Amino acid sequence: MLDRHFINPGLQPGVRRRTAFGAASAALTRWGKPLKRRWASAPFSTGLKPGVTDRRNQKGETSGLTFVRFVALIILVLCLSAKPAPAQPSFLGDGGQAGHHTQVKLLLSADSARPGDIVIAGVDLKMDPAWHTYWKNAGDSGSPTKITWTLPAGVSAGETQWPLPHKLPPAEVTTYGYEDEVVLLAPLTLATNLPPGPLDISAKVSWLECKDTCIPASTVVAAKINVGSETKPSAEAATLQQWQARLPKSQGASVQAWWEPPVNNDTRSLNLAWADQTMAQSPDFFPDAGDNFEVQSATEQVTALATEGPGAIHLRKIVKKFAGDSPWPREVSGVLVGGTGESRAGLQIKVPIASEASVASVAIPASRSTASNAGLPAPLWQMLLYAFLGGLILNLMPCVLPVIALKILGFVSEAGSSPRHVRVLGLVYALGVIASFLVLAGVVIGLQAAGHHPGWGMQFSSPVFVVCLATLVLLVAMNLFGVFEVTLGGGALDSASQLASRSGMGGAFFNGVLATTLATPCTAPFLAPALGFAFAQPGPVVALFFFTIGLGLAAPYLVLSWQPAWLKFLPKPGAWMQKFKVAMAFPMLATLVWLYTIATSSYGKNVLWLGLFLVLTALAAWVYGEFVQRGRRHQTLATIIALLLFLGGYGFALEKELDWRAPVMVSSGAGDLKESAQGIAWHPWSPEAVAAARAAGQPVLVDFTADWCLTCQANKYSSIEIPSVREKLKAINAVALIGDYTHTPDVITAELNRYHRAGVPLVLVYPKGPDAPAVILPAILTPGIVLSALDQAK
Amino acid sequence: MKKTFALFAALALAASVFAVEIGKSAPDFTGTDITGKTVKLSDYKGKIVVLESYNSDCPFCNNQYHGGATQALQKELADKGVVWLLVNSVNPRNPSHRTAAQAQQEWTDLKIAATAWIDDSSGDIGRLYGMKTTPHVFVVDAAGNLAYAGAMDDQPDPSHDPKTARNYVREAVDDLLAGKPVAVTQTKPYGCSVHY
Repeated sequence: MLDRHFINPGLQPGVRRRTAFGAASAALTRWGKPLKRRWASAPFSTGLKPGVTDRRNQKGETSGLTFVRFVALIILVLCLSAKPAPAQPSFLGDGGQAGHHTQVKLLLSADSARPGDIVIAGVDLKMDPAWHTYWKNAGDSGSPTKITWTLPAGVSAGETQWPLPHKLPPAEVTTYGYEDEVVLLAPLTLATNLPPGPLDISAKVSWLECKDTCIPASTVVAAKINVGSETKPSAEAATLQQWQARLPKSQGASVQAWWEPPVNNDTRSLNLAWADQTMAQSPDFFPDAGDNFEVQSATEQVTALATEGPGAIHLRKIVKKFAGDSPWPREVSGVLVGGTGESRAGLQIKVPIASEASVASVAIPASRSTASNAGLPAPLWQMLLYAFLGGLILNLMPCVLPVIALKILGFVSEAGSSPRHVRVLGLVYALGVIASFLVLAGVVIGLQAAGHHPGWGMQFSSPVFVVCLATLVLLVAMNLFGVFEVTLGGGALDSASQLASRSGMGGAFFNGVLATTLATPCTAPFLAPALGFAFAQPGPVVALFFFTIGLGLAAPYLVLSWQPAWLKFLPKPGAWMQKFKVAMAFPMLATLVWLYTIATSSYGKNVLWLGLFLVLTALAAWVYGEFVQRGRRHQTLATIIALLLFLGGYGFALEKELDWRAPVMVSSGAGDLKESAQGIAWHPWSPEAVAAARAAGQPVLVDFTADWCLTCQANKYSSIEIPSVREKLKAINAVALIGDYTHTPDVITAELNRYHRAGVPLVLVYPKGPDAPAVILPAILTPGIVLSALDQAK
Repeated sequence: MKKTFALFAALALAASVFAVEIGKSAPDFTGTDITGKTVKLSDYKGKIVVLESYNSDCPFCNNQYHGGATQALQKELADKGVVWLLVNSVNPRNPSHRTAAQAQQEWTDLKIAATAWIDDSSGDIGRLYGMKTTPHVFVVDAAGNLAYAGAMDDQPDPSHDPKTARNYVREAVDDLLAGKPVAVTQTKPYGCSVHY
């Protein structure tokens, strides 16, 4: 009989190590019943189990059951002789005392504090390896840790604050809790009239610790604080701060919650959606405990919503109601969790749950509620067709036009060559285009893997890229002017046919690269949905899309080079070609002006130094062309001078004055976004601004745009910032919001992704009335499109 | 990968949600009790059956038994013709596992008054019913339909006096015997995890 009880502690793994000492330290009561009662009632629990010994030995845990028995016997004798008060824990008897796997202490953020101060108190629970304690909602099983403060008059404790817990296995019985260590925090407020002197702060902490088995325990922890005339942080203040950093944030992304049909069962699907790229990895929702319902632990991440981009997160949870006639909860509260390791973040939420009917309207595409089944916005082949058409149309966009001129020139000059040579050049050009697109695809995939939000044309938000491209475009223009020669333009004017065929190849390839580079700031019709789709797909699909767009861009030249007969529509080669070439330098200069303007948004007035650098580079190109390429003497000296001019310009203007690689971002004075006195009264876009305007019953026009987006600029001047639209906006009392994507802020990337777009332009019109979904305007606008959308919005 | 995970999650959801449903036929099972006898749920058709996930090392379960409260309830209901089956799903590697001999010893020591103690160390029955905690109780009506699932009583802690708590099992059985619809059909079970 007695023997059975001695054995008890030994049955708790890990007890052996500290049996003797643990017993002494534990004055733990709360869960307990008088020990006497235990003796009175038939003592049960683990009983004597021969099998236990065997298992132990098999596992190699040979630390000695006899020793455990011996120690347990001593404890028992001590307990009996001491006539233990009711404060002794009853079940697991002596083992309950000895079997603690959690060390508890009380930390205070200050050794001394002034009246009126708030001192952070922390209950530090250190668990033995593999043991855990529970969060405020224990989950499927277990029990939360409880703290009951005993405070002197004039000191009050706030609510317990719980650091982010972990989901603990097994899957069948998921719980929320802590392993190793947790510090539960509570702010202690000292009254302003507190007299000076030392104060005793104490708390009774009751917890359930579990591993293979569970043990309830409790203890009283205490600490002292001195009230005086100064605040002195304690040695533990830093530790407490670290744990404060692990509390969920109370403010962050706006979160939407809605029921998903069917909603008439005992269990319902609750959808949660928010955008926060820092939480994109393994996002989850840890609910608060409900009275008569339970948000179950399993989490489904709705994968189709990946099309909304890495920052937009959509989870589905099952909610089970216990009492059949009680109403369904109207709001959901808990903590959104995401990220891994040290970057794991949490967001405390309490949001109303929308009925599914009104959900489609909350600016969420209607496809969302059925997204898991419907999956893609359109089939893959259709999206690929869009990609191809988009690539084809890209040829006509203003960005690519200058290159096309070069290309035509190349064709003309090669028209006389063998058809085979023309074909090869066509293929090499296509290769250049496609290779560039595949490089872009690689960059996109890499960025996605690194957790960033890539966007179409995003490289234009990098000033380094803009400067390099501006330099390149300048050199192309100089070359077209004839300032110097490079085997460019398909080797148009090279005489030696041998050289021409080789350098022609290089030129054709380079043309392809240049066409692609310049094409990216333009979004053509068809391209926008295709890209929006592609950017959220796995790597191979991204590559396939970029390949298809490249194919579309290169298609006209491929066709022409395979059907040289069609080339006869082009004029015969002749002196006009030289003039045409020079003429084509002007669109290049126009491109340069555009790039220079983009650089302004990064460098501000310092862009002057970029201008100086460009002029010096042009001068260097002239020296090189005039005295090295065409000169007869002192060519080495001329080369040195050209190099000095270029490097001097680089070193002085770019490096020293401009600090071009690390510019200070110049904000564009968000206060007043009016273009002119009569201009549209733009306000900066934010989800809150949209919500506020809609709540006020106003229609909303949103223009997502960027300085580098030529299509956006074209839209603005042709169809948005025009008198008729201004008047219409006033007439229907609409709010105009502008989302500046020049520096690709994540919040806008996330919003673009919600509308399945990878980049700007994106123009939205939200009709009046809070329930109507936003109307997405096409990528290329006409005044009619905008006006009729606004008409329908009022 | 993501899709696989989603599929897995969906399956897990389906498993946890649709394991058993109130008002639907309780899934049949066959198990072996600690005396080696075969126990089949459908053999008890015509009688009310209580299933209880059981592990006396768990303080929540212990609390129900160490004062004799559950034994008394088992006797009370047995007199009314109710069958009470303990389902012990603790896996054999867990220190709380009981061999048949240990279980019989415990049965005697604790004066357990249930109909049988089923050795479910494979966890099959526990998973079939989605048993999460010890204790987690299910009441099956005479027609074989699930009438109650959830906690033993309304005090989710391991130190209350179960004799004074509101016992949902007694209420459900009494409602069934009185021919009334069961008032409380579901509650959130509490206790230790079932150690599958």
